[in-house]
Amino acid sequence: MKTLMKSGLSALALTAMASGAFAADLGATDEPIKLALNEWTGQHVTTRVAGEMLKAAGYEVEYVTAGMMNQFQAIADGDIHATLEIWSSNVSDQYAVLKDAGQLEELSDLGLNAREGIAYPAHVADLCPGLPAWEALQECAMNFATAETLPMGRLVDYPADWGTPGADRMTGLDLPFKAVPAGSEGALIAELRASTEKKSPLLITFWQPHWAMSAYDVKFVDLPAGEDACFTDPAWGPNPNAINDCDFAASRIFKAGWPGLKDKWPAAHEILVNYTLAVEDQQPMMGAVDVSGEAVEDVVSAWMGANEAKWKSVVDAATK
Amino acid sequence: MTALQHEETGPARAFSRGAKAALLVLAVGITCRLLGAQFDWLVGWPDALTVPMTDWVGAAVGWFLSVFKPMARAFSQLLSYPMEWVGAALRSAPWPLVVGAVTAIGWLIGGFRLAALGFIGLGFVVISGYWIEGMNTLALVTVSVPLAVFLGMAIGILAFEVPRLKGAVNGLLDVMQTVPAFAYLTPLIVLFGFGPVVGLIASAIYAAPPMARNVLLGLERVDEEIREAAVMSGGTRRQQLFLIEIPAASQQIMVGFNQCLMAALSMVIIAAVIGGFEDIGWEVLLTMRKAQFGPAFLAGSVIVVFAVVIDRLSAALAEQRVAQSKRVALAIFAVGAAVALWSVLANWNPSGVAMLDGLAETVDTGVGTFTANNGAALDAVKNTSMFYGLLPLRIGLADAVLPFTWGFKWTAAHSMGFFAIVAVISGVLALRGQVTAGAVVAIAALFLEIGVAQAPWPLVVIGAAALGWVSRGWSLVRLVVILLGLILLSGLWERALLSLYLSGASVAACAVVGGALGFLSATSTRVWAVVRPFCDMLQTIPMFVFLIPVLMFFQIGEFSAFLAICMYAVVPMIRYTRQGLISTPEDMIEAATASGAGKWQTMIEVRAPYAAPTILLGLNQTILYAFAMLVIAALIGTTGLGQSIYLALGQADVGLGVTAGAAMAILALVADRLVQGFADKRRKALGL
Repeated sequence: MKTLMKSGLSALALTAMASGAFAADLGATDEPIKLALNEWTGQHVTTRVAGEMLKAAGYEVEYVTAGMMNQFQAIADGDIHATLEIWSSNVSDQYAVLKDAGQLEELSDLGLNAREGIAYPAHVADLCPGLPAWEALQECAMNFATAETLPMGRLVDYPADWGTPGADRMTGLDLPFKAVPAGSEGALIAELRASTEKKSPLLITFWQPHWAMSAYDVKFVDLPAGEDACFTDPAWGPNPNAINDCDFAASRIFKAGWPGLKDKWPAAHEILVNYTLAVEDQQPMMGAVDVSGEAVEDVVSAWMGANEAKWKSVVDAATK
Repeated sequence: MTALQHEETGPARAFSRGAKAALLVLAVGITCRLLGAQFDWLVGWPDALTVPMTDWVGAAVGWFLSVFKPMARAFSQLLSYPMEWVGAALRSAPWPLVVGAVTAIGWLIGGFRLAALGFIGLGFVVISGYWIEGMNTLALVTVSVPLAVFLGMAIGILAFEVPRLKGAVNGLLDVMQTVPAFAYLTPLIVLFGFGPVVGLIASAIYAAPPMARNVLLGLERVDEEIREAAVMSGGTRRQQLFLIEIPAASQQIMVGFNQCLMAALSMVIIAAVIGGFEDIGWEVLLTMRKAQFGPAFLAGSVIVVFAVVIDRLSAALAEQRVAQSKRVALAIFAVGAAVALWSVLANWNPSGVAMLDGLAETVDTGVGTFTANNGAALDAVKNTSMFYGLLPLRIGLADAVLPFTWGFKWTAAHSMGFFAIVAVISGVLALRGQVTAGAVVAIAALFLEIGVAQAPWPLVVIGAAALGWVSRGWSLVRLVVILLGLILLSGLWERALLSLYLSGASVAACAVVGGALGFLSATSTRVWAVVRPFCDMLQTIPMFVFLIPVLMFFQIGEFSAFLAICMYAVVPMIRYTRQGLISTPEDMIEAATASGAGKWQTMIEVRAPYAAPTILLGLNQTILYAFAMLVIAALIGTTGLGQSIYLALGQADVGLGVTAGAAMAILALVADRLVQGFADKRRKALGL
């Protein structure tokens, strides 16, 4: 909830800025602004839209491929100037360290509404009647059991370095499932794919927006709403003895940049701070790339042409 | 436990020593098993006795980074120039020109066969649509391989010239090969800055050891006669070395060069994990994230093609060859240049070509359909291997035998019965005079009942120390105890045991399968013609690619990790076994044939003993590869040290990363020293 309030506030701030905005200096337009391209398509869309906006404002933009986990040192060193889609559920601690040391600047929320949860491919509903209600899992845990988890069911959790939210839920709700860390995103997808092909049972920790949500018809399990009290007060929720007996708290998606950005390219800084992208806009573009196989550049430029109203004002506010 | 078995085959004069050691270990094991339930500290190392080693290491690395950062940045700047030049040259050269040039070089080196190889290989890269990415990868390798070769040569020659340093150098090589790059990735980026140069350095660090080892082995095996001839003909030591001994060792050095090349190419992926430029590794990572086997395989194949072309050309360079017509080469190159001119004028760009995408799609769907149709069979394979193999090995029969798995519950009575049978077998062996064998059987049974991952620490430490004593003596005991003690103190012991179990199981499987394949490849060139491309592929394709089908077939878990490790670690076993068996000096074989030995008799009595040191070097490499692969295996959800390294990467915990990496290196080092100890004894026993 706290994060929701925060994004609400930033939306307010955005309107205030847009209406009373002041045009900033363009700064060093002859030097390229380097934006990080991480490993997933949604991030490519987010970054290319921002890059096109900067180009519209008169900047040179260069896209640099960078590992999500390893990019922050590069941003602190000024080798990359901004990264535009950081998920709070999956950010390295190095980010916090560098930010606290003043070597990184957080640039506000992206406005992408993400959801995380315990999920399953649609066919699993037949193997565990009663889904999506979470209580059903109590009864059919054995259907999800495998060699390594017997006598408990198997929940495929996030890779260990993203944290163990799935395992926390199972403990909180006292469900007989053993969480197995996936190791990588590719492993999560391979599990979804194999389960869909084999029509085998699968319970998995997953999130949206993600192209696999529609590709494998993934559904979320209905859990009690993730209110603040759930994570602090054991008495709250269906299990009176434990915290975490509820759904995930909303995750935050935000942008960060090199601290020198503001001085070197003031208008670009303002554009990147005010830039937002909605799930309704990102998801169809991701689909066009991952499912229909179009090039990201083409998809983004088509969207930019058709949706000028959604981004032009941010560019104009900073430059005119 | 694989190491334990070597003892049985040890030479007879170590018999009493082996028996003493085995009996001691058995006594410790029985004590731990009987009293473990009452005294926790006999099983798990008490937390109170651990020290915050990860914090200390973190602080030390932090200090090191702050001191050496300016120097490292300058070095990385220096390396980035050649890399950019090569990259720019390769990228801007029109593809027909590059294809023409490589084909022409192929012709010059090896005539029609190699010209065709170069043409087809690079043609494949063109039609795959990964030309630019491929050239970026090539630029990285072009700089990192000479760096690794130079480093490896220097280290190898140093160890040969100054025998006192040999032990230390071997330790260093093991560390370079086994501490996974992921463990020091964060400090490496801080040190050298962001970008492909970090990947280049990581790949050079990893690729240098095979070169160094083979240089050393080659120099050591130079014939005494040649050496003496060199001494008699005068000249400085340097002249003897570079003009006579190194050329004489060239065959072994070429094996090292080949392995160095393969290792460098296999590490290309690290550059992509960091990012900074669009190479093949980046494509592999993107497709891997989507679990698309077909496209990932296609992109990975480009790396394999490079490896095969470079490898065959360089191998042919080392052999004596007939001179090819230079005019033909010139003509080939001219054709390339003409097509290049046309393509520039017509503005034809190969990155738009994606002729193989349809094929990639088909492969991808194929994997899906196979999974769908054989789901039950695949599950059966996995469950059987888990229930009757891996699970008992990890947590012991006592915990692994459950109604769900074996159909009944293992009770104390079963344990009694099991141990009674073992006692009878051991007793019979002991009465027949084979005390060592009897004790080893009993120790193996103890491990099987308790499980490697739950083995009491005194049993593991004293067991390893005893092996050290038998194989080499007190110096090795000291080394083993100190190194394992460090892991105990660091608090990473439990995770280390998990890693030990997984890599131990893989090495055992690789030794059997790889040894057999290497043997077959040595006896029949036709088998080798089939096996060789597979070896090249497994060694150079980024292993991420194979994680996908393994995951699709067998899902996240230990069995998948086991398979992935085996796929990678089996290769050196095959290569070295074959190399050892075929490189027996001709005169020895002739002598055997003259005295009436058949093909098989020659193989067993002449070739195999002569090959033993090389085969053991292969086993050593397999052990190191298996540990190296543990980190990649952590991507499919294994626990243990590999996972700790990823956790450290996520938390930017430099101390944990480096300590976990070091623990992994320690395990590999100890296993390796024990194997080498026995290898040396064997060598002496055979009079080699």
